[in-house]
Formats: sequence, structure tokens, C-alpha cells
Amino acid sequence: MNASGMKLSLGAYTALFLVFLYGPLVVLAILSFQTGPEGGPQFPIIEWSTYWYKHLFGLTPPSRIAPLPIEQALVRSLGLAVMTMIVSTVLGVTAAQAFRRKFRGSGVVFYLIVLGMMVPGVLVGLGMALVAKTLGIDRHWWSTAFVLHVVYTFPFAFLVMLAIFNRFDPSMEEASWSLGVTPARTFRKVTFPLIFPGVLSAMLFAFTLSYDEFSRTLFASGRDLTLPLAIYGTFSVEVHPNVFAFGVLTTLFSFALLGTYAALMMLSVRRAKRIAIQEEA
Amino acid sequence: MIFDLELNNVGKVYDNGTPAVIDFNLSVSKGEFIAFLGPSGCGKTTTLRMIAGFESISSGEMLIKGKRMNDIRPEHRPTSMIFQSYALFPHMTVRRNVGYGLDVKGMAKAERDAKVDRILATLGLEDIAEKKPDRLSGGQRQRIALARGLVVEPDILLLDEPLGALDANLRKAIQNELKLLQKTLGVTFVFVTHAQSEALALSDRIVVMNQGKVEQISPPHQLYTRPNTAFVAQFIGNNTIFQGEVDGASDDRMLVSTPLGQLSGRPNGTLSARSRVNVVIPAEAIEVHPAARVSREQIAHTVGGNVVGASVRRFDVVGHVSHLTAALADGRTVSLEAHVDKYQPDAFPVGADILLSWQPGEATVIPA
Ligand SMILES: Nc1ncnc2c1ncn2[C@@H]1O[C@H](COP(=O)(O)OP(=O)(O)OP(=O)(O)O)[C@@H](O)[C@H]1O
Ligand SMILES: [Mg+2]
Repeated sequence: MNASGMKLSLGAYTALFLVFLYGPLVVLAILSFQTGPEGGPQFPIIEWSTYWYKHLFGLTPPSRIAPLPIEQALVRSLGLAVMTMIVSTVLGVTAAQAFRRKFRGSGVVFYLIVLGMMVPGVLVGLGMALVAKTLGIDRHWWSTAFVLHVVYTFPFAFLVMLAIFNRFDPSMEEASWSLGVTPARTFRKVTFPLIFPGVLSAMLFAFTLSYDEFSRTLFASGRDLTLPLAIYGTFSVEVHPNVFAFGVLTTLFSFALLGTYAALMMLSVRRAKRIAIQEEA
Repeated sequence: MIFDLELNNVGKVYDNGTPAVIDFNLSVSKGEFIAFLGPSGCGKTTTLRMIAGFESISSGEMLIKGKRMNDIRPEHRPTSMIFQSYALFPHMTVRRNVGYGLDVKGMAKAERDAKVDRILATLGLEDIAEKKPDRLSGGQRQRIALARGLVVEPDILLLDEPLGALDANLRKAIQNELKLLQKTLGVTFVFVTHAQSEALALSDRIVVMNQGKVEQISPPHQLYTRPNTAFVAQFIGNNTIFQGEVDGASDDRMLVSTPLGQLSGRPNGTLSARSRVNVVIPAEAIEVHPAARVSREQIAHTVGGNVVGASVRRFDVVGHVSHLTAALADGRTVSLEAHVDKYQPDAFPVGADILLSWQPGEATVIPA
């Protein structure tokens, strides 16, 4: 194949990818502006309106369509995602740090950790429910489900950090030690600033994976639902465009998250510069 | 007398069972410039890393200024290491990099800044002090690494092939600077290299290593004139080695019978009668005579019988230097060079018979 043909097919491939990625979202976004409360979740658009967005926040006059029962679920999911993100990232960084030196049984431990993201979520969730029942433990989103979220997201954080450490030049740390700096301070002053972009990526992974986790949470979270469970619950009754409006808002939230990630990434590069200048002054 | 650095029977066996260093003995005085020289994989880096504390010492003992260091962590040793990759901190400016080791010493800011400024000036880095190291050239980064390592005033500076990543010209220039810096500061340097010329140009003493063992520790000149082992004779300089058997001794000369006749030289080491030995002859000591003009007998008595026959294999003139390759009777070749006035092209046509001779004092007889 010649170069321009190659370019063309790669371009087409990319275009197709983007269509499949954003196509459903665009359809969702359009339908979310359907008129309400009589408009349904299908084309054509009877009339453009922001009715369903208002409906989400309880700003519309009462009608036969109940507001989405997601307010508390959203708070729970965010809390769970933040907790999971913190714990998984800390575990991921420390575990990857431990794996920089070969130790006895490191191969086995590696596969045991990675298994956490491979095993089918439904099974793990079910298993956790059974264990909890046998031991007489109550299931909650912040206990049993939280543990499963960590088990699931920690391997991602671990693998990201492993890749980061793989490219990290250990003589940088040795240089620091040989200048009389303790390992703990070396980690703070040299290692951490250099792996920080990787830590951010690990955090992003852990947060997003936990935020929309469904199968594990389904059995392990007990009575109080997380956001994905709550949304799924509304489908079983009847779908209205208010779910689409909510989808649009969550997607915007995801973009905001990515934007924050990018900004932090750039900041971490600049910060080093600024600290250097400040401390000089 | 307390040495700056002492290694007593130091050995290293890696976890996988590789014996990387075996029975290493060395005493270094303050202000000495020591080079570890040897082929790839002979254990130079391993030894240096044991001194720095990055590798544990498997056996033996390491002392710095008389104090045992085996179990002391790297940050508590009075050593500082310069890496081949320089290992500069990419997220800090040059000034921060250099001042890094002083930050933890609880030193007053004014004093710290003064020290950093002084070392930056010494190494000509003032102009780039606020830059990040990754935008700088290899030579500049090399100097930053040196400044960072020296500013903490180590007793011993350890350098692992610090010039390896530089091009030939720059290497030469920094080599001179390094030597000057070391003499000025009076800091003990231990320098690892596998480049002979570097070791010979820089060091007070060279430790030649092979397969984890020390072959010889000598001042550079002595490695040429008095090699202790066949390995050193082959590794250093351009020597021709004849194998033979001890015939006897006269005065301070050892007589050796070889397939090419009886040769004589200065003995080095204990040599018993009839033991197998090597006669080592540096190329610089060899005189070439056209066999057509002089006979073996004419020369033999002036050089203690050290004459062997050969023929001209190649003869090239590059600039004002003649390069002559002589083929010995046993098929080996000897490469010689001299000023074109001495080896005139018309005297050595290819294929002509020649005689090679050398003074017995220039040849060394060592155990095989
Ligand atoms: N971490 C390690 N684990 C196991 N064996 C090692 C390790 N580091 C080095 N070795 C082995 O120890 C021996 C000495 O290695 P070392 O790095 O000291 O050689 P060197 O003289 O510095 O060589 P070079 O000139 O190539 O740098 C080699 O056989 C090497 O393969
Ligand atoms: Mg090495």
C-alpha cells in the first residue's frame, strides 16, 4: 500500500472510531432536549426544550413522571470513587515500588494482584455477598463494595506505576543517597516529583473505574445504591429523556475531570520550576 | 598511617551466584587519583558501587579513613558518586541540582549559596545556573554532575566512566580539566574506565582488573615497563610476548629459551629454573634492521642475544610516521611505528628479511 493510501485508511479508521465513541453520546444529547413531560425518548424531536434538565433538579411542576432518585446515589458514588482512588493509588505506588527489586515469590504475587482486574465482576460480587452473609457482616457501599472496588482498581494503578518505574533511572536515587540524603527524603524530593504524572494517571484510572462500576457493586453494596445501580433501576420502570439529560451532565463531568487531569499534569511540570525559583529568592 | 580508602580481601557474589569481585586488596592515600581499568564485565562498576554503598560487600572489609564501612548506608559514607548517565535531577535547575546535597546539612542559606556559587564558578556554570539540565549539552551536564558531587566535600569522589558519553574531542578537554580540578581540590578520586588512554593520562595508580580479580596495581608507566602478568602485558600498550622456559640467570638478567632462540630480560616475580615463562617486549623497545645490510652476529652482542628474524608484511607511511608490520617465523605479526626518517620506505620493501632486536633491560620475564 502506498503512503497516501495508508494515510487515507488510517484517517477512515480514526473517523470510524470517533463515530462509535461519540455517536451514542450525540444521539443521547439530542434526545435530552426533547420537550416534556409528554415527549418520549425517541425521534422526532417534537419541540426543543430544556424541560428534562429542569426536571432533574426538581424545577418543573409536578407531573406523573417522578424525579430521578439519584441525588444520594450520586453522593455515594463520588465518595466511593474518591476513597477508592486514594487507597488504590497509595497501594499501587507502594506495591510497584516494592516490585522494583526482585523478591522471592514476586512472580506469583504479581499474578495474584493482576487477577483482581481479570476475574468476572459478577462472580466476585456474588462471592463477597456470600462471605458477608456467612460471617454475618452487613453489606454497605462503604465497606464490602469499597473493598471490591479497591481489589478491582488497585491492579490498574499498580500496572501504571510499574510502567512508570520501569522507565525511571534508579541512579537518580543513588545519586541522591550518595549526596547524603536519606531514602525517605529522596523519595519526596526526587522520586515522587518524577513519578507524579504516573500517579495522576493511576488516580484517574481508579476514580473512573470505581465511579461507574456495576457488576461487583450490584451484589456487594447492600441496600443503599450507587449511581450506576440507581440509573439501572430507573430503566426497569420506564425510560424518559431525563436519564439522557443526566447522561449529558455526567459526560460533562468526565470531561471536567479529564481537563483537571491535563491541567494538573501541566502544573506538575511548571510547579518544579516555580518552587526552584521561589526557593532561590 | 591512615589511608583514605582500604579494601581488604573484598569480594562480591551477586544473588544469582555470579562472583563479580574476588579478593580485592587496595590502599589509597589522600589525594590520590586511582583508576580501575579492565575489559567489560571484569567487576569495576561492582567494586565502585560497593565503595559507594549501593551494593553490599559479600566478604572482606572496606575502610574509609580507618573506619569500617561495610554496614554503613550510602548517605552516611563520605563518598560521592558521578554516574555515566550523570543522573541529574530533571525537575530542578542547575543551581538546585548543585545545591541539593547541601540542603539537608542544616547549613545557613548564605553559606550554602556561597558554596554553590563558588563551585559553579570553578566549573564555569554561572551562565546556565537557572536552566534545566535536559536542555544542556553533554559536556555541561558532565560538569554539573561534578559540581553536584564535589560541593558536599566528599573524602572520596567515585566516578563510573564519567567521560564515556562524550565525543572524543570533548573527552580530551574534560580529561585535562578533571585532572587539574582533582589536584587543586586534593580530593581522592576513584575512576572507572575501560579506556586505556584515559587511565594512563589521569591516574597516579592504575588497578588493572580481569574477571573479578586484581591483576596489577601500579603507576601508569610501570604497567608498560614492568607488567606482572601476561594479561596486563596483552591488555596494556602494544607488547609482543614470547613463551619459553627459564634457562638460567646472569647478573640481573634471566635467560629464556624460546622457539625463536635464547632471549634475555629482566625478571619480574619469582621464577624457578626450567619454569614456563613469558618474555614481554614493548613495541617501542624494538629496533628494526634490514637483514641485507647487517648480520645477526653484528647486532647480537650489543643486545644480549635478543635478535629474532622476521620479514616485512606491510609498510605504510602516514604523514611523517612509518607503520611497519613484521611477520615472525611462527606467523605472528608485530606492529611497529617510527618517524619516517628512521624507517625509510626504500630500506623495507614488502617481503624483505629483517632483524628485530631489543635491549634486555627493556624486556620483562614473567611467570606464564
Ligand atoms: N545486579 C547484578 N546481578 C547479577 N550480576 C551482576 C549484576 N551486576 C553486574 N553483574 C555481573 O557482575 C560482573 C561484573 O559486572 P560489572 O558491572 O562490575 O563490570 P564492569 O567491569 O563495570 O563492566 P563494564 O566495563 O561493561 O561496565 C559481570 O559478569 C556482570 O554480568
Ligand atoms: Mg561498568
